[in-house]
Amino acid sequence: MRSYDVVIVGAGIAGMTAAIYVARAGKSVILLEERMHGGQIINTINIANWPAEPGISGAELSQKIYHQVNNLGVEVEYVKVLSVEESDEYLTEQDAKNAARRLFVVKTEDGDYTAKAVIVATGTEPRKLSESQMKDAGKRTVSYCATCDGAFFKGKPVVVVGSGNTARHEIAYLNNIASKVYHIHHDDPIPEDAVAVFVAIGRVPNTDAVKNIVDLDESGYIVAGENCKTSVPGIFVAGDCRVKDVRQLVTAAGDGAVAAAGVLAYLA
Amino acid sequence: MSKTVLMDFYADWCGPCQMMKPVLEEFEATHGDVEIKRVNIDEEEELADKYNVSTIPCFVLERDGVEVAREIGVMPLKKIEKMLEK
Ligand SMILES: Cc1cc2nc3c(=O)[nH]c(=O)nc-3n(C[C@H](O)[C@H](O)[C@H](O)COP(=O)(O)OP(=O)(O)OC[C@H]3O[C@@H](n4cnc5c(N)ncnc54)[C@H](O)[C@@H]3O)c2cc1C
Repeated sequence: MRSYDVVIVGAGIAGMTAAIYVARAGKSVILLEERMHGGQIINTINIANWPAEPGISGAELSQKIYHQVNNLGVEVEYVKVLSVEESDEYLTEQDAKNAARRLFVVKTEDGDYTAKAVIVATGTEPRKLSESQMKDAGKRTVSYCATCDGAFFKGKPVVVVGSGNTARHEIAYLNNIASKVYHIHHDDPIPEDAVAVFVAIGRVPNTDAVKNIVDLDESGYIVAGENCKTSVPGIFVAGDCRVKDVRQLVTAAGDGAVAAAGVLAYLA
Repeated sequence: MSKTVLMDFYADWCGPCQMMKPVLEEFEATHGDVEIKRVNIDEEEELADKYNVSTIPCFVLERDGVEVAREIGVMPLKKIEKMLEK
């Protein structure tokens, strides 16, 4: 089994920032990422509120942080984490006597890892269309990103599903491209002539892999205060998958630093 | 030996596509036997239509002109290499 001081689940902005801190403190650390480093921000073309780099794209920001992580010698494995569990082993003999710190086992689609501490930075993903709307959409393109796919529907009618901020952004973007942009809410029927369905009905936390070990709130977010400590000592949380008020890049990065500091204190 | 072509459908306005550039360069350096064909969907609209591409980045792997694998979105090298198993 592959063993590390710290396993970080998710290589978004939160996870990568945590890795920088942990690696700089001299601990062995690996990032396990299901899709691509960078996380949910990679499709955003223009970020206006990342300090020092107004207008940077999500892809460029992600790539820059990834290089920084890489240069520190942090390993990144592209694999989906299935669960995080407590093992029977303790970190030290003293821990065994006190029934204190246990080793964790992080199970993935491609083998297991052991870790003395774990940081969960799994973020959120778009909420999917309801089943009835999915049926309604049929063979039409269903997209969760207008800036990625909008250009394919130049001069054609499209529909945006959703009523929040993201939906408004998607509509504004598509208005410059499509011949008509319908706007419907979560459960409305999809207009006949729309050739593509753009979905913006909020996001849900990616916390399935840890739902059996740490406390979640009723929406599935991991319960932890600003100290990023979960209900299980040794498991920390960072970024958008944590219960919090402001889900932004800088707060995700901030969590990464706080969770890493928590881990270092826990391992000391 | 069969001829293997990896088609990379992209556009200049597509940020995630830029992210795939270094990944593809790494792929190219290690898989000299695979021809990489970059398709700018704005310049080669008919080709994008022909391949039914409606979201990018999109990667299509062909062996002797027959599509054997297709992947959509930004992805690490490992996942592109996995397409070769098809
Ligand atoms: C369209 C859009 C525009 C935005 N614009 C801005 C903006 O302008 N400014 C700003 O500050 N914020 C913006 N945000 C919010 C910002 O993107 C997020 O707050 C931030 O990216 C969260 O980072 P994170 O690391 O917590 O999570 P994420 O970026 O979601 O990263 C989590 C990572 O974990 C991975 N993962 C999940 N589950 C598993 C698993 N089981 N195993 C392995 N890996 C897993 C995911 O693949 C993902 O890569 C925007 C968000 C969106 C969607």
